[in-house]
Amino acid sequence: MSTAALAPSRLEARAKTLLPWLLLAVLALLPSAGLGANIIRLFFITFVWVTTSLGWNLLGGFTGQVSFGFAVFYGLGAYTAALMIDRGVNPHLSFLAAGLLAALASVLIGLPTFRLRGPYFAIATIGVSEATRVIMNNLAITGGASGFRIMEHRPFRQVEHYYTALGMAALAVAVSFLVMHSKFGMGLRAIKQDEDAAADLGVNPYAYKLAIHAVAAALTGMAGGVFARYAAFIYPQGVFAFQTSVYILLMPVIGGIGTIWGAVLGGVVFGIVEEQLVANFPELHLLLYGSLLILIILAEPDGIAGLLGKLFRRLRRLTRKNGVHSGSRKADEVLRRVGRG
Amino acid sequence: MTFIDFLNLLIAAILLAGIYAVMSVGMTVIYGVMKIVNLAHAGFMMMGAYFAYELYQRLHLDPILAALLAFPFFFLVGIAVHWLLVRWLPHSDRPTLQSLLLMFGIWLVLQNIGYLIWGNTDRSILTPRTLALVQLGPITISSLRLVVFVAAVGCMVVLEIALSRTWFGRSVRALIQNRYAGRIAGIDVEKTARLTFGMGIAFAGVAGALLATLYSFDPDFGRPFLLRAFVIIVLGGLESVSGVALGALVLALVETFSILFVPAEYQPAISFGMLVVVLVVLPGGIASLWAKRRRLA
Repeated sequence: MSTAALAPSRLEARAKTLLPWLLLAVLALLPSAGLGANIIRLFFITFVWVTTSLGWNLLGGFTGQVSFGFAVFYGLGAYTAALMIDRGVNPHLSFLAAGLLAALASVLIGLPTFRLRGPYFAIATIGVSEATRVIMNNLAITGGASGFRIMEHRPFRQVEHYYTALGMAALAVAVSFLVMHSKFGMGLRAIKQDEDAAADLGVNPYAYKLAIHAVAAALTGMAGGVFARYAAFIYPQGVFAFQTSVYILLMPVIGGIGTIWGAVLGGVVFGIVEEQLVANFPELHLLLYGSLLILIILAEPDGIAGLLGKLFRRLRRLTRKNGVHSGSRKADEVLRRVGRG
Repeated sequence: MTFIDFLNLLIAAILLAGIYAVMSVGMTVIYGVMKIVNLAHAGFMMMGAYFAYELYQRLHLDPILAALLAFPFFFLVGIAVHWLLVRWLPHSDRPTLQSLLLMFGIWLVLQNIGYLIWGNTDRSILTPRTLALVQLGPITISSLRLVVFVAAVGCMVVLEIALSRTWFGRSVRALIQNRYAGRIAGIDVEKTARLTFGMGIAFAGVAGALLATLYSFDPDFGRPFLLRAFVIIVLGGLESVSGVALGALVLALVETFSILFVPAEYQPAISFGMLVVVLVVLPGGIASLWAKRRRLA
């Protein structure tokens, strides 16, 4: 193949590696653009959702273990951070602790439930998350069902929250990227395709699942903590609600299960649509997502990301046909034949 | 605890088991024939509750009668849902995550249609029968629960007859045992699956209507009962109708007698905790205990 034929794809590859950094830079500069507090809040919430979405995607997307129980980690993270910040601990330290505690909980939950496969695991996670909510509703340390108000002895600065959440979302992307391109990630994908075959090839599915569950839980727990600090008030029926688990599951599935950008896209779309719909029509919100879920399962398993990818490819084919490259098309053809011959 | 208390609790547990069996059996037949874990069961139970509620409010129809009417109505609904959505799923001999998520999506849609129509206030169906009691010597029984129990047992008997005496029932049982062999024997798998799905949803509707006479409900009504249904069908070994009756009895006994040991606020956690324990420890259901012993012997 000649360089002429390779050039566009190499350019594309370079753009693909550059794009995330560009995006990060733009988002980092955004608060200086003088946006309103409402917009900043929208971005903040979106970062939190993107983080949970990426976390769930590690287990559900890469490894194929669908969990309905991520509210457990989100809630535990929220309460850990809330209790620590309330006692004057540095917020960022509390977020780390929130992640660690969620990871610990994930191991405790995973030890029995990962003996189950596929749908049985999914059903067991519903049980775990409901039981956790009932217990948290009645514990004294969390303030019980009436909720917990966080008293932080520092002035509230929205931009600081913004950067914390942005950093966290970036961390989630980086972790997903590292996992995806590692030997560990290949093992996870092997488990998703065929657990028995993976075991035959020397992957220990039980240990791998426990490990990725812990990483996913840590990210989700941190997101819970960051959210709790911003919200300053949390209650078990909110953070531990089945609804929260549902949100965390829907985002990556609708965005594009098993891909990093799909999960990110799912979080972004969810954050924006939620903001617009929830205030006015809370029922329409989940009605919309339920219908989307049905459509995606039956028609487009790769989610919105898959749909966009298809559109993009079709568009490119169209522009080629319509003569954008018409000058070089014949040359390409010739070169291809030469290359083959 | 006196002997009379014990007897009262025992009767309460048995009465509870009847309705538990009806609400679980629909999931079992769908799982058995189609290998689909029907999460939407909760949504159809909720719809069944509102079906009885609307009939009672508008036409002053007795809720027990409404429960009987729910059967044909939800049978047709189930067939429509199967025709519209479920039949497009790829066929599989194991439960797939795809089918789980599809049913979950249907549940979400049903639940939020419920919120759109009826809002999130609690509703209940109060008839003169609601608070009536039957005295049998020292034992007190709620007459409503007795009626519901009779209706539930009636449903189970009808199902048992349908499964053992009709051609449809025979093909259902064949497909539960072995899909391939069933197909070779000339069973129309698609048609049987459609009818089975309709029947499963019909039982969900009936169970919802019956439950609505006992408890107050909102559009999130089915969720705790869904988890109980899971416990029951796993206890029952997932695919057998008589197993469901056994599982329902075990869960009802555990729930009823746990009142003596577990504080009331932690009560809901019992079925959820049990779900996980049973799934992990007894994935083959109660019957697997005997099977294991037989193998050892």
